[in-house]
This record gives sequence, structure tokens and C-alpha cells, in this order.
Amino acid sequence: MATQTARKPWGKTIVFGILSAALYAGVFAFADTIAAHFAQGSYWAAGPIATVFLFSYVHGEFTGNLWSVLGVEATRKAARKPETATTSTATKPATVRPAARRATLNA
Amino acid sequence: MDILTLDPTKFIDLNATGVCFLFIVGFIGGLVSGFIGSGGAFVLTPGMMSLGVPGTVAVASNMCHKFPKALVGAIKRFRYGQVDVKLGLVMAASAAVGVQMGIRIQQVILEKWGQAGSDLYVSLSFVAVLVLVGGYVMRDALRCARSGGVETTAPLALRLQAIELPPMLTFRRSGIRISLWFTLPVGFATGMLAATIAVGGFIGVPGMIYVMGVPGLMASATELVIAFVMGLGGSINWAMHGMVDIRLVLIILGGSLLGVQLGAIGTTYVREHMIKMVMAVIMLIVAVSRGIALPRYLVQLGLMDVSPEVLGVLGKISFGSMCLALLTGAVIILGSMWKGRAAAREEAHGQA
Repeated sequence: MATQTARKPWGKTIVFGILSAALYAGVFAFADTIAAHFAQGSYWAAGPIATVFLFSYVHGEFTGNLWSVLGVEATRKAARKPETATTSTATKPATVRPAARRATLNA
Repeated sequence: MDILTLDPTKFIDLNATGVCFLFIVGFIGGLVSGFIGSGGAFVLTPGMMSLGVPGTVAVASNMCHKFPKALVGAIKRFRYGQVDVKLGLVMAASAAVGVQMGIRIQQVILEKWGQAGSDLYVSLSFVAVLVLVGGYVMRDALRCARSGGVETTAPLALRLQAIELPPMLTFRRSGIRISLWFTLPVGFATGMLAATIAVGGFIGVPGMIYVMGVPGLMASATELVIAFVMGLGGSINWAMHGMVDIRLVLIILGGSLLGVQLGAIGTTYVREHMIKMVMAVIMLIVAVSRGIALPRYLVQLGLMDVSPEVLGVLGKISFGSMCLALLTGAVIILGSMWKGRAAAREEAHGQA
């Protein structure tokens, strides 16, 4: 969905894709044992929390780059400040916000 | 229990159907969350329970997938300039108090009226909040659509912003300055709802928009920060009690991280009122779904007489309509993205 051509992150996608697959394969090869250990609670609580942080980084990087490779990218800087903004204007706010301006954004 | 084997009363045997179901619902839930800041939890928890997962494990595992998903979504939308971290942290602090109050109320109801009473309270809260707030959001979304997508600051927010009640907080990213005292009820209500129906965003996002005057796009993205903070705290709590099934979490996360990024990208393609529209449509369909489930709890409390067969059918319709809510939201998001893409291409051609 990109509106401009940019270099696609093939390398990152492949590296993080392999890492993500390896992590999933590693965990699910010993899924029952790992789940049983994590289910002991107490200090074992660090297990699932650390695991999801690791997966969110590795799999998150993979999925983000995957969408870019597939050409699905952000198209505009969506955020804008309403005219009600800032300290000096707080008491005399405008009532209408301008439509967000379009701009190309690669993220 | 031998720690090398799973307790069958807590952990189900996974099969291909269950894995596919969780992955797909995770993806759609992620898509909706990335777009409106919340959603998916209301289908995932009952969905897991329908696979045989005990309620507490379903809630814990759902929460444990929710905070990393919110983190990834928040980072993505922060890059688009849509996240107000300061606002998210202020809201999360008061939401944490709301969660504790919500849990306490649940405990009192459970002690007094039992599980059926608690379920009835949850369903009534669902219906009341979603009909009132969802109806208001829908009305505003339609008004915005009729005026060509121009978003106006709510009159209540304008009035509150004009009141100088110390301490005043300035949220530069959102472009608002408002008293701390007006942020507290919104955060508190978000936490209360999160503890009651597991989707605090259904009140957090409209609260930020209509009470505080935060732009819709910014409110939906900032909700992800609140979801991350609350989800992390809740997950640590559940994990310390050994209630998280890491297998379920990772399967759902696999789909939801794909979805949340797509939903975040989607926000850059659509007009702002579409976020309100998607949120309102989902809220109103879920309200109908919970309304259909009410007779079951009324029967359990002896307040109504309906045959078990009818209750079974109503239960299926209720779950089906919740899935429909999520699916409808996803279709609107993808359709809007498609239209936005076409418009962006036309614009690019026009400039060339």
C-alpha cells in the first residue's frame, strides 16, 4: 500500500522470520514441560513474562517487516494537534479540528 | 504434581482446530486493537473457554498476550506520532485504582449472589455501558461522516479544559491542558470496566475523546499504553499464581502481532471518524450479544423460566454475535484501508 517506492527490508524479514520460527519451534518442541514449569507460579512467573517480551520483539520485528515487504505501509502522518491545544489557548479553544494532512510516512 | 507433566484440570490438549482458531481470532483481535486501541479480549476469553480452557486460565492467558500486543501496537503508532505517553501513564495510574475497585465489587457480588449473580452483573454492565457509550460514539461518528470527516472537540471537554483547577496537566502530544482531577474519573472508569468486562478501552477511549478532548486517533493509540501497563501488572499477578498457559499465549500472540501492526498501519489510511465508527459498531453488536445471554443468568437466579434447549441456542447466538462484532470491525477496517489506498494512489497520480 505504499505510495512511494522504498527499499524493502528483505534481509530483516528473513533474519527475524528465521529467529521467530526457531523460537516457536524451540518452545513447542518442549511445550508441555515449559508450560508445566511456568505453571508453578511464584518466581516462575518471570518465565512467561520474559518469554512474551522476547517473542514480542522477535516476532514483532518479523511481522512489521513482513508487512513492509508485502507493500503494506503507513501512508500519512496521522496525528495532529487540535486547535484547542497548549497552555495559552486553553481558555479560548477552537471547536473545529482541521482534517489530518496527508504525507508519506515509511515506518 | 510432577512438574514435568501438565495438570489436565488446568491445561487442555491442543489440536490443529484449536490452534487455528486461536491464531485467527488473535489476528482479528490484533487488527481491531491496533486500530481502535482495544478489542479482541471479549471474544478470546469465551473462545478459549469453549475449547475447554478453565475460566481463570483463559483470563490469565488472554491478559498475558494482551500486554505485549499493546506494546508492539503502541510502539508502531508512536512512530506515527499518535501516542501520548504521558497521558497514557497518568490514565494507567488511575485505572489501576479502578481495577482494584472493580475486583472488590465483583467479590462482594460473588459472595452475596454467587456465580450467576456475578455473571448477571457483568452482562448488565456490558449492555448498559456499551449501549450508552456505543450509541453516543456512533451518533458522533455519523455526524463527523456527514460533515466530511471533520472532528470537533466535545463541548464537555471544552468546558472542562477551561476550568483552572490545580494541578493542571499539559499533554503536549495530545495538545490539551486539563486539570488532573478531570483525568482521574476517566482512568478510574477505564480500570473499573477492565476489571468487569475485560475491555477497559470501551470507556477509556470515548472518555479521553469526549471528557478530556483528546483527538480520536490519539486516544485510540494512547489506550494501547494503558492496556500495556495494566496488562503487564495483571499478567505478573496471574503468572505468580501459575495460571498462564504459555502455549495458548504464544499461539494467540503469533496472530495478534501480525494483526496489530496492520491495524496500526490502517489508522494512517482512514479519516478519523472511522475509528469512532468501528468502535461504535463493535460496542453495539457486543451489547446485543450480551443482552441475548442475559436470560441464562436470570434463570440461574430463579428470576425467569426458560427451557435449557432455548438457553443453549441463545448461548450459541450470543457467542456467534460476539465473533460477528469482531469480524464486522475487521471488515470495516480492511475496507477503509482499501479505499484509503485507492485515494492515496489517485493523489500520487495527480501529483505526478
